[in-house]
Amino acid sequence: MTTTTAGLYAIRIKGRLGPTALSAFPTMASEVKDGETVLTGWLEDRSAVFGVLAQIEALGLELLELRHIPSRRQSPESDDDRSPDRV
Amino acid sequence: MTSLTTMQPGEHLEQPISRDVFVARGLLDRDDLLQLMDRAVTKRVTVISAPPGSGKTSLLRAWAARSTNLRRVAFVSVDRDQQDAQRFWRDVLDAIRSPAPSTDAEAQSAATAALEGDQLVERVLSEVAEQVEPVVLVIDDLHELRSADALAQLEHLLANLPSSARVVLSSRRDPPIRLHQLRLIAEIAEIRAGDLRFTERETRELLSESGITLSDAGAAALYQRAEGWAAGLRLAVIALSGHPDPERFVAEFSGTDRAIGEYLMAEMLERQPSEVQSMLLRTSLVDRMNGELADLLAGRSGSEQMLLELEEANAFVVSLDARRIWFRYHHLLAEFLRLELRRRFADEIPDLHRRAAQWFADHGEVVEAVRHSLAAGDWPDAARLVADHSFGWVLDGQARTIDAVLQAFPEVASADHPDLALAHAANELNRGRLEEAAAQLEVAESHIQSAPPGRRRRLAVAIASLRLALARRSGRLSEVIEQVNLLDASISDESNDQIAMGSELRAVALLNLGIVETWSRRFDDAERHLSEGAALARAIGRPYLEVACRAHLGFPSTTVSLASACERGRQAVAVAERYGLGERPILAPALGAVAFWAIWMGEFNAGESALRRAWEVAEPQIDPAAAVLLHMVTGQLHAARGQHQAALEAFAAGAQARSRLTGVHAFATPVVGWLAATQARLGMPDEARETLAGFSAEPGRIGFIDNARAVICLAEGDPAGALDVLRDVPDATPPTGPAFTLVETHLLAGIAHLQLGDRNAAATAAEAALAAAEPDRLIFPFAMTDAAELLGALPSHQTAHGALAAEIPDLLRGEPAPSTDREHFSQPEELSPSELRVLRYLPTNLTRPEIASELYVSTNTVNTHIRSIYSKLGTRDRSSAVRRARELRLLSAGRS
Repeated sequence: MTTTTAGLYAIRIKGRLGPTALSAFPTMASEVKDGETVLTGWLEDRSAVFGVLAQIEALGLELLELRHIPSRRQSPESDDDRSPDRV
Repeated sequence: MTSLTTMQPGEHLEQPISRDVFVARGLLDRDDLLQLMDRAVTKRVTVISAPPGSGKTSLLRAWAARSTNLRRVAFVSVDRDQQDAQRFWRDVLDAIRSPAPSTDAEAQSAATAALEGDQLVERVLSEVAEQVEPVVLVIDDLHELRSADALAQLEHLLANLPSSARVVLSSRRDPPIRLHQLRLIAEIAEIRAGDLRFTERETRELLSESGITLSDAGAAALYQRAEGWAAGLRLAVIALSGHPDPERFVAEFSGTDRAIGEYLMAEMLERQPSEVQSMLLRTSLVDRMNGELADLLAGRSGSEQMLLELEEANAFVVSLDARRIWFRYHHLLAEFLRLELRRRFADEIPDLHRRAAQWFADHGEVVEAVRHSLAAGDWPDAARLVADHSFGWVLDGQARTIDAVLQAFPEVASADHPDLALAHAANELNRGRLEEAAAQLEVAESHIQSAPPGRRRRLAVAIASLRLALARRSGRLSEVIEQVNLLDASISDESNDQIAMGSELRAVALLNLGIVETWSRRFDDAERHLSEGAALARAIGRPYLEVACRAHLGFPSTTVSLASACERGRQAVAVAERYGLGERPILAPALGAVAFWAIWMGEFNAGESALRRAWEVAEPQIDPAAAVLLHMVTGQLHAARGQHQAALEAFAAGAQARSRLTGVHAFATPVVGWLAATQARLGMPDEARETLAGFSAEPGRIGFIDNARAVICLAEGDPAGALDVLRDVPDATPPTGPAFTLVETHLLAGIAHLQLGDRNAAATAAEAALAAAEPDRLIFPFAMTDAAELLGALPSHQTAHGALAAEIPDLLRGEPAPSTDREHFSQPEELSPSELRVLRYLPTNLTRPEIASELYVSTNTVNTHIRSIYSKLGTRDRSSAVRRARELRLLSAGRS
């Protein structure tokens, strides 16, 4: 399960996040576009994903989109784990 | 420090707050929403699901405060990250009882302190059903409930809700419980973020009620930007109050592309004086605070006043109690403050956690103290806290707490740490995982040298005490006895020592010591240790421990007469009931002892009911040592009533339980003797001989075995042989104390003489039996040996014990059965559906635990129902309840 969950994620949030809110996502890079903030970063497993979502929720931020970015350049340790059950 | 864990100031904080506390705060009375709530609670369950800051809690509190006499609102806020199902349900129960009648409150809390989650749910259901006014149970912040057990139990609660009761669940997201059954029958109402949003009209009302003058365009712009988000509007109002140029504020706010929560939160914080900002940031890492704690964290005085003013300004500070002593921040504010603290003063954070941990530890809030110690990175301190308080939690029936706090330890926390290993050992022992407990104790013991010298002694005593408990639970009595003297010595030293051992630890050690001594028939030592343990337990306010000590004091010793031992057994039961501990397994030995002596004294019906209760309270995994007692008494009861086959089974079970012990058991000899005698009476002399062959009686107790041999002879038609065997018994019997074996010896000799046709010798033996029996009313041997005929051989003018001699035949015929109370015979109070379900099982021979498992409820629940059934039917026991139920045709399936 975790092998298919781990990966690069892009999270779109309504509004520009200031330094305080951004400090809640220290492992993610941020970019502001058209009044939206896109957080991008590698999330190790499901609990990391849910941790970020919980933080967004706790801060009352409005989540617009959560996207798993297929990575062409896979991380070396996960190469072997691209098992057949991955659809 | 000793009674830290008895203080639980956090327990009663989340009570519904009275109307004046929050209605007068300038919160808008949102009539449309209040009416929406009123309509929603016509359904059995209401789910409010919306993001933080939507105004869920404000709505619920306003609605609760406005409640009419037609309903009673029980308000529970789930504590942050609540993983402890037991704590959660206790909070629910407290809310339902609040405001409880003050006289009952303490007893009620004591009675439920130790219940497990599923038992508490049943209690919640029955108490909800008992309330006169319909109850609306509001559970706020349900998303904080992280216990799968608690959520499953909540489902059970919803499925079994009394028809008049209502539940409102409020959560940031749809609760992870199955609601489709309720949806199918249209008994669920849902309120979502869209319903909670402020309308433009409400936005204008809020502004004008807060004394803010804004142009129509300004108000519209504000409304549009905030999109009706309650928290955003409230924050905007705070920022606008006293703002020199409200229109400019709205223009800036509307123009910014910042996330509105963060923008407004920053605005609000910036507008506070610097000392208030500093206080807010530094107190943000505790979930709740009072003035003292806030001062400690802020490093200054006057915090309480600031908190009160912030609350009055409706600035996202909430008081938790009607007296406004405890406060917390709105969840959103707390989140932002914590981030800001980390950004601005990251280096202070560990020290702030450390201060909080110390404060909570000093105030008996160990769970919070552990949490902050861990947050400060001081896990060894946290481990010490857990190790030191695990006994207290176990004794308060909150042993699950150990499990919950241990989960929070970081992985780096080395399992080799003696305190941590000790805490794990206590946890495993409590969960009945004896092997795991033993393994953890090994770890603790092998790393004890890594502890500071001043602590080693205490750890050693704690380890020894746990070992003792472990050995006792495993039935390894002989192993325990080897360690007992060591521990006994260290306990005695300890009182003179500079290092004070925790009173709890000491009392627990005394308890285990005394229990083992009781079962090892060292009644004098047991008496000394258990009395001391009980006194100490009472002094430190540990009812469970006191009851546990007293429960093993129901046996006579050289200093305690049989009569006072009986009285002590009864007292132990009474004390347990007073504390609400009348159903705890630890009470089984006291009830067993009460039954034991009742049966010895010929009060068979009283013995039977005490015995039945003893089996009911005994947990399935009853200590083998206590099981020996209960099986033996069961056998005695059957033997006394001439039910030899049932007696045989019980004595055999007793002998079986005894074989699982590795030491000598106090009742090993009588169990084996009576087993053999019963086998002989049932015509199995060979089996009887085999039973005796493999057994060597303790010195001074050979009489039980000789009596059994005599019974074998009599069964084989060899009265002379019986007399031969019995000849030496009187000399081998200790001259002091109750003549337990001697009465039977004389009776068997008398029966043998009677069979040989020597009526004079028989009369002499009968007289000797009466003489031996009279001081302590030892009637049981007359019943077991069926001595009625023998007593008939004793002419009444020839006995000095005429009254007893006349009374015994009546007792042997059986006392009149407990009579049905005719006054209740008219029309019984109607049984509830769940009581009826239990009632249907009473005619079967299922035990209460078996009934419980048939019905998928706890034994405790079944006990509660059965007690209620008895009282409603005006009966006192199972058979008369069945009879009465038949008369009332309650057993027919038609009523289900």
